[in-house]
Amino acid sequence: MADFSWEVRSPLDRALVAGSYGAQGDAGVSLTEIRNFDLVQVMARRGKAGEMAKAAQARFGIAAPETPKAVDIADATMIWSGPDQFLVLSKGGKHTIEALAPVFVGSASLSDQSHARALIGISGEKARAMLAKLSSIDLHPDVFGVGAAAATSMDHTSVTLWRGGDHDGQAVFNLLVFATFAESLWHTILDSAAEYGVTIGHSEELA
Amino acid sequence: MRIICPFCGERELGEFTYLGDAKPQRPAADAGEDAVYDYVYLRDNIAGVMSEHWYHGGGCRTWLKVTRNTLTHEISAVEPAAGAGAAKVGA
Repeated sequence: MADFSWEVRSPLDRALVAGSYGAQGDAGVSLTEIRNFDLVQVMARRGKAGEMAKAAQARFGIAAPETPKAVDIADATMIWSGPDQFLVLSKGGKHTIEALAPVFVGSASLSDQSHARALIGISGEKARAMLAKLSSIDLHPDVFGVGAAAATSMDHTSVTLWRGGDHDGQAVFNLLVFATFAESLWHTILDSAAEYGVTIGHSEELA
Repeated sequence: MRIICPFCGERELGEFTYLGDAKPQRPAADAGEDAVYDYVYLRDNIAGVMSEHWYHGGGCRTWLKVTRNTLTHEISAVEPAAGAGAAKVGA
């Protein structure tokens, strides 16, 4: 019998070419794919949203988002994904589905999305200008501040978008997209960003 | 046209899918063939204010009940459909 081994690869393994792309000179957009994260969808069971909220509070020491927001805790981020549901994004196996299952037993249904999404960090001086081509969400800092989140569509593809903490004084937008649509959206993002010049890379660290 | 999703805020039409008239109610099991025929097939073609089901599939994936004027596209109310958002509505 043949031996099988699974090689875990990013959905952007083929499409992502690290380096620079598009216009020469100072890059206006920086794209960083974040690899090897744990992502768990938590959805309240009917009539159990209150219990789910209590369980989340007990586990994370802070309330789970009930409006489109992303809440950072020491070793994870809770991202609103719809009414009575949120995503838990983390690294290093601290908040895997196995770890969270006992926490939400009876109050919420959990679904492991770790290998079902690609995560792209978008920053740079022209990040908003580039995103404006893809999204009708108002990303002005007065409206979409640090911690704002949105379940929306880009290029007809459902995405979860949220603004993380600023990095080097610049806004960082995080984008979760379905793994099978990631390559398509990636090319659209590159097309949109090319005129500003792009720096491309990947990282194992959450922004 | 834009719809103000009660969960996400104002969004473009492209994020939503239209289902149809939100008025018809499933008849009781013993209501008879005519009532079921009416429920399944017959629709009013309203020129004016209409209650409709819309799906926010490009966003929070919630079913919404939208009150829309079919002549002007003016939307006067948007609320979660029964059962949407688990805890937000009673049904």
